[in-house]
Amino acid sequence: MTESGEPVIRVADLYKCYGDVKAVDGVSFTVAPGEVFGMLGPNGAGKTTTIEILEGLRRPDSGAVTVFGMDVTRHAESIKQRTGVQLQTVSLYPRLTVTELLDLFGSFYERHLPTKQLIDAVDLGERAKARSMNLSGGQQQRLSIALALVNDPELIFLDEPTTGLDPQARRSLWDLVKGLQSRGKTVMLTTHYMEEAAELCDRVAIMDHGHILEMGTVPELIGRRFKERAVFFDTTPQLPMDRLSKLDGVTRASQEDGQTLLYSRDVPGTIGTLLALADGLGVEPHNLGIRQATLEDVFLDLTGRALRD
Amino acid sequence: MNTLLLLTVANIKSLTRDRAALFWTFFFPVMFVLLFGVLFSGTGNSKVKVGWVDQDNSQASMGLHNAFANVPLLSLQSGTLDEEKTAMQHGDISAIIVVPSGLEAVVAKTNGKSSAALGLFTDPSQTQTTQVVQGIVAQIANGFNLQLANGSEIVKVEQLTLSSTNLSNVAYLVPSILAMALMQLGIFAAIPLVQQREKGILKRIGATPLARWKLVASNILLRLMVATIDGVLIIGIGIALFNVQIVGSVVAMAGLILLGAGAFLAIGFLLASFLKTEEQATGVVQVIQMPMMFLSGIFFSFDFMPSWLQSVARLLPLTYLADALRQVMVNGTQVAPLGVDLAILTGWLVVCLAVAARTFRWE
Repeated sequence: MTESGEPVIRVADLYKCYGDVKAVDGVSFTVAPGEVFGMLGPNGAGKTTTIEILEGLRRPDSGAVTVFGMDVTRHAESIKQRTGVQLQTVSLYPRLTVTELLDLFGSFYERHLPTKQLIDAVDLGERAKARSMNLSGGQQQRLSIALALVNDPELIFLDEPTTGLDPQARRSLWDLVKGLQSRGKTVMLTTHYMEEAAELCDRVAIMDHGHILEMGTVPELIGRRFKERAVFFDTTPQLPMDRLSKLDGVTRASQEDGQTLLYSRDVPGTIGTLLALADGLGVEPHNLGIRQATLEDVFLDLTGRALRD
Repeated sequence: MNTLLLLTVANIKSLTRDRAALFWTFFFPVMFVLLFGVLFSGTGNSKVKVGWVDQDNSQASMGLHNAFANVPLLSLQSGTLDEEKTAMQHGDISAIIVVPSGLEAVVAKTNGKSSAALGLFTDPSQTQTTQVVQGIVAQIANGFNLQLANGSEIVKVEQLTLSSTNLSNVAYLVPSILAMALMQLGIFAAIPLVQQREKGILKRIGATPLARWKLVASNILLRLMVATIDGVLIIGIGIALFNVQIVGSVVAMAGLILLGAGAFLAIGFLLASFLKTEEQATGVVQVIQMPMMFLSGIFFSFDFMPSWLQSVARLLPLTYLADALRQVMVNGTQVAPLGVDLAILTGWLVVCLAVAARTFRWE
């Protein structure tokens, strides 16, 4: 058992190359017991490589990586007994049923939860006798979580748990993760959905090109970069950027996909001068709105590109 | 042990719930035996071809020739002993009757004290034909003796054996098709392995504390079970429907089936080490198993092949498995001594397994 205060995961100066590609290029972080820690970043950022090293699936080139205070390469077996893993790929023995798969995976561990309890935990009771190939995407994802919980783990890794799910299925998965957290489990997840990170994670690390760019709670990350709020609108044609950045209170301006985004310290002043500018040019702004800065804005600001792609 | 059992059961369920896989592993070889068996077992209406070697060239031998030629079931072709032996080995004829020189002299004496022996070459593995021919020859020799020597046995029959590698011989085909089935079950094992790696199943299992050898062992157990079932099915059909005489002991056959399956499984594992995608695996496996099937003397007698092709066949492990199975099961002709067959199969098993163990990737 982990002593209180002692991190469940400790990663210091982790490096991992594939040929010439530096997949993980000097990463350090810790995860505390009971914490939900998220790694956010686009494909190829190094999230999956990092998590797979922690899962004992890959060896680090260099760096100190410990889970439950044990070195991941030397104590992989005992770490695996106490962790649960959900990978991006889900199709496991497509012709076995939900119950059979859970029984099988349970047998891999020294101790495991009753299959019935696991099936109820992920709400797959009605599909217990269904072959995994016949499950819907959301059901497969829930099965995959149940498989990760089979040994009642203290630490659970979720690699992009909701990728490819419809909004409803995503919601129900989020509830599952929150349930894990309330039962005191430590969770480390990767995602490229900002909302998901904001909804679930106590702390987030933003990764790109093998580096952690920024790490902290979501409000911290936003507050560190954005004192401003964002004013957004559409116009055709787009207004000239040089004029927009000189409007009252505007600190930064950006345009993407026909939408203009102005970060402002003085929202009324910005809107007033914006309308005057538009009117003068004979253009009418549509879908005008104001919002707080989000993780999305943080990411855009850090990397110069949106995360969606 | 419990884990190994559950994994093996999981593999068995995966196989039995997959109709396409079931077809290839069980019905395909059974279909082959049935099809070839029915096509080529028929002595039914067709005549039995018999080689006629006349070393006496006398009136007596002419008389005998006419007697045999009048049997509607036989069709005679004359030639020297060497010619006829070659023809029989190639499966063109089913038996050879040799009339020894000196028959005329024996007949002339008719004192009942000297006798001549007709040589009769038959193939013991061709049970039905052999019995028919032996019966006819005995009957005619008997008639000859009655007519010319009042029943004293001046013409005897000397039973000789000569194995034929005969396409029309189900006894030849049964071990061959069993060898084919073992080859396929071993090499085809590469496909699900590549598939499981591609889908990340191997990786997912790698994230559990399960020891990897158990995963491999459960796979081998499943395939060896399938091999045993294939063996029972194919041999059973051979015996029950086509009256094939199995001379080998159950223990020897079982051992050989497991060795053969093991050697080809090792090849399958080796292939799975190098192939990346399921499509690639399906393609490469076909490219390997199809030519091997046709170049290893399974459907075509080894002796039929031009010598360069024989050299190719001698490189293929299937040639030796089929050869060993034929020798053990039906006393068939040999491409190589049994010991050599076993050594070569063991060699393939050990080398491929060693290389696969070093090169196999789990993701």
